[in-house]
Amino acid sequence: MELQPTPPPAANLHVLRALTPDSVQEILHSYAAFCSSTASLLSGDLSATGPDFVSNVHALCNHGLRSLVRDHFLKSLEDSFESNSVPRFWRCFDDYRNVGILEKSEGGLDFENRVRQVLYGALEEISSDKAYQEKCLLMLVRSLDSYKESFPDGKCDLDDERTYLFSRYRLMVASVLMNSLPRHFPEMLHWYFKRMLEELSTTVDGEVDAGDGEDDCPDEDDMDLDEKGKASFRSGKMDIDESTFQGKLLENNKLVRKIGKVVHDLRRLGFTSMTEDAYASAIFLLLKAKVHELAGDDYRDSVLEPIKSWIKAVPLQLLHALLAYLGDTISYDSPSPGLKSPLASHQSSCSPGMNTPPEGLIRWQLRLEYFAYETLQDLRISKLFEIIVDYPDSSPAIEDLKQCLEYTGQHSKLVESFISALRYRLLTAGASTNDILHQYVSTIKALRTIDPAGVFLEAVGEPIRDYLRGRKDTIKCIVTMLTDGTGGNPNASGITGDSLLEELNRDEESLENGGVEEDFNTDEKQAWINASLWEPDPAEADPSKGSRNQRKVDILGMIVGIIGSKDQLVNEYRVMLAEKLLNKSDYDIDAEIRTLELLKACSVMIHFGESSMHRCEIMLNDLIDSKRTNHNIKATIKPSQTEPQEAGLSMDIFNTTIISSNFWPPIQEEALKLPEAVEQLLNNYAKRFHEIKTPRKLLWKQNLGTVKLELQFEDRTTQFTVTPIHAAIIMQFQDQTSWTSNKLAAAIGVPVEVLNRRIYFWISKGIITESLGTDSDDHVFTLVEGTSDGGKTGGNNKSCDELLVGDEEAESSVASVEDQLRKEMTVYEKFIMGMLTNFGSMALDRIHNTLKMFCVSDPTYDKSLQQLQSFLSGLVSEEKLELRDGMYFLKK
Amino acid sequence: MLLFLVNNVTKFETSNFSDENLDLISFCYVPPICTEWHAVASWTWDAQDETCGICRMAFDGCCPDCKLPGDDCPLIWGACNHAFHLHCILKWVNSQTSQAHCPMCRREWQFKE
Repeated sequence: MELQPTPPPAANLHVLRALTPDSVQEILHSYAAFCSSTASLLSGDLSATGPDFVSNVHALCNHGLRSLVRDHFLKSLEDSFESNSVPRFWRCFDDYRNVGILEKSEGGLDFENRVRQVLYGALEEISSDKAYQEKCLLMLVRSLDSYKESFPDGKCDLDDERTYLFSRYRLMVASVLMNSLPRHFPEMLHWYFKRMLEELSTTVDGEVDAGDGEDDCPDEDDMDLDEKGKASFRSGKMDIDESTFQGKLLENNKLVRKIGKVVHDLRRLGFTSMTEDAYASAIFLLLKAKVHELAGDDYRDSVLEPIKSWIKAVPLQLLHALLAYLGDTISYDSPSPGLKSPLASHQSSCSPGMNTPPEGLIRWQLRLEYFAYETLQDLRISKLFEIIVDYPDSSPAIEDLKQCLEYTGQHSKLVESFISALRYRLLTAGASTNDILHQYVSTIKALRTIDPAGVFLEAVGEPIRDYLRGRKDTIKCIVTMLTDGTGGNPNASGITGDSLLEELNRDEESLENGGVEEDFNTDEKQAWINASLWEPDPAEADPSKGSRNQRKVDILGMIVGIIGSKDQLVNEYRVMLAEKLLNKSDYDIDAEIRTLELLKACSVMIHFGESSMHRCEIMLNDLIDSKRTNHNIKATIKPSQTEPQEAGLSMDIFNTTIISSNFWPPIQEEALKLPEAVEQLLNNYAKRFHEIKTPRKLLWKQNLGTVKLELQFEDRTTQFTVTPIHAAIIMQFQDQTSWTSNKLAAAIGVPVEVLNRRIYFWISKGIITESLGTDSDDHVFTLVEGTSDGGKTGGNNKSCDELLVGDEEAESSVASVEDQLRKEMTVYEKFIMGMLTNFGSMALDRIHNTLKMFCVSDPTYDKSLQQLQSFLSGLVSEEKLELRDGMYFLKK
Repeated sequence: MLLFLVNNVTKFETSNFSDENLDLISFCYVPPICTEWHAVASWTWDAQDETCGICRMAFDGCCPDCKLPGDDCPLIWGACNHAFHLHCILKWVNSQTSQAHCPMCRREWQFKE
């Protein structure tokens, strides 16, 4: 083959000149002998390396052909390895091309064991082949060494020769194997490690259950099998539990040792990175599966700790063992690793301080924990919506997520995914405003734990707020939620009777207490401490949103923030309060007083309009005054004055709420002619009031109030709570059982349309029937005579005793905020129309600003942008204006 | 069926009605008995004017110093028949060094008897 040696060119000529025919002869002879002995050596004949071999090598070296010797020897090693060992090795795995698929089809422990045996066998075989070749190589090295030793100056690089040759050999082995690597081998390795790890994990899990907490003994050397085995035998007599535990550990160690051996063998074959990949990915896969299994869809338990302890118990144990096993065997680079016993390795590994975990292990732990955190975080983030839906119960999950995020810092991921979940699932037309608000509150509460600075909360809250602003009933829902414990959230029975406001106030109080303390000792020292505690906002903070102090997370503030203006909230509250108070038939206003007090307490925080709150106070005060006045009047009125007994009416059952109308929201007035008897009562009452409170007089709001009626039928008595107009209607029927609608309307002094709407209540109760009269517009209402023919009454006669009327027709006694606004805004309609005539088209902002600029005196323009917008959209729907691309036009 | 009706009627007769003039059909319906009537009214000062000439606040409201309208912030009439919030006119009268005059008509201020 390579007869021409390749010495350095400078020496080349000199060497050639020194060649004599004799020496050429000698070279040829020695080379032939060297080749043949090499061949026989590689074919398994160790005896071929006698003194002949050594002398041949020496002879060749003498002529400066040392590199030729080395190259030839390595080449022949390579040839034999490539032609014999490698194909044999790969052939072993040919049957298991698709382990995953095969496993499914064949399955079972049997298959698993077979695959394992194949892998072990193949590795054993190729390792022994390799060991043999290394032995051969060592012989060459020895002969080369002995040659060098003959020269005193050649002593310097004895070891170099050896390391050089072995590294070349190892490279050769690795490259040959890599070259011929079948594609299914990594897959198989992966599969193997996965199965082994799973097995290990299950045994460890069992251990955790059985030997409570004894699983983590990271200090003890896991490789120290034999000693532990002995220990278990020794202690076996004393404690059964202990011995079973030890037995399991022994089993684990066997498993670990098996894995360690495989890894070790593979490493020696040059598959270092592939092996590492395989077991690392297997570990990560297993960890991921574990995290998913532990976390699952249950948010009521914290899973971070179990995961961490699992990491310590399973993968880290394994890695610890593995690293220990590999670490020392590599340092102990013996030429015959296959023959080495684990005991030997243990002995050598004992020396370098057992108790400090190696650096590699720590790095692994960090990697694994990070991975676990990330996996859990992703899992939780993807389910954050659900987690927040059952927030107070799911706080452990939130706590977990918080820790994960602290570690991984991927807050932006949370924000993005949560916002998209919100858009997809909450901010849709199908969701009720109440639900959205409740979710909003839960979100605030939950994210407050994760991120006390409120930066991400702001980002997440923005879409919800924007969306809610577009809904009409938002304010109403907010007020209901704030003031009414039950009304806001009918299905959450657990927290009934406790309004959100109350809850908030409680929180706020505790916060306040903390805050007050802080204020008291703000001496220099405290100030310094505070200053040193300052932390910058997270990097994701939007600088345009103000500093941390302003961003203090308070739920009430954030809710009020939806509306935009506090006055609107208070106004809505006032309307609702008025409605509630006017429909009260007793004077019991404790709940309302309490709510108002809470609101006032909160108003300090968010600066509610003082005057609006004052008005609410007066409203409540009116009720208290009414109660007193009512009592006075009734006590002083002479009973003889009250004659009308036929309707069962007397002063005893008559009560009045007297309001200071200036401080109440505008009240819907509706003319109504009450029955004579009632009219009489009212007059007497008003007269009496005038007498008591001289220069003051009463103005009746006939259409307001509540009337409790008792209707008697042949077999039952039904109670109704109705408005005066309903009472007036039904009372008309006691003189005359049939009315035409026009006549009835005239009798009670309301327009026919109103009558038709109102009388529907009695029709729906089956007390009055409607039939077409002679005139198509003139219906005839007839009292149902007896219930036997009124089949439809049968259904609802049981639950009729308390029926509040008015809601079903959405008829409120107080003008709604919208109506008020419309009324106030109509003043500006002319301005706006004029503006648009002059300018052609204007954006909302510009209209707002122009109005602000020019309408300074009577009436001053003091509306918010939102109010203007809703008014303008009203005009658009009335087809007075047109809205295109955010610009308003006059409709032509 | 008829028997049933008659039975019922007799029951009603004994329990509720002694009025013999009502016909049979009307027995099934009794005039509604009003068990409670809760009315709503607003009070107002019986004055000719709407607002107080001194503070320009509504009479039905209260003067700037008061929180509660009504009894707590009454009106007072002068001899000239002009009405003001009591607190307003008192302040006015007290601030005058000599004889106080009605802010509206410049007549000498006298509280109406």
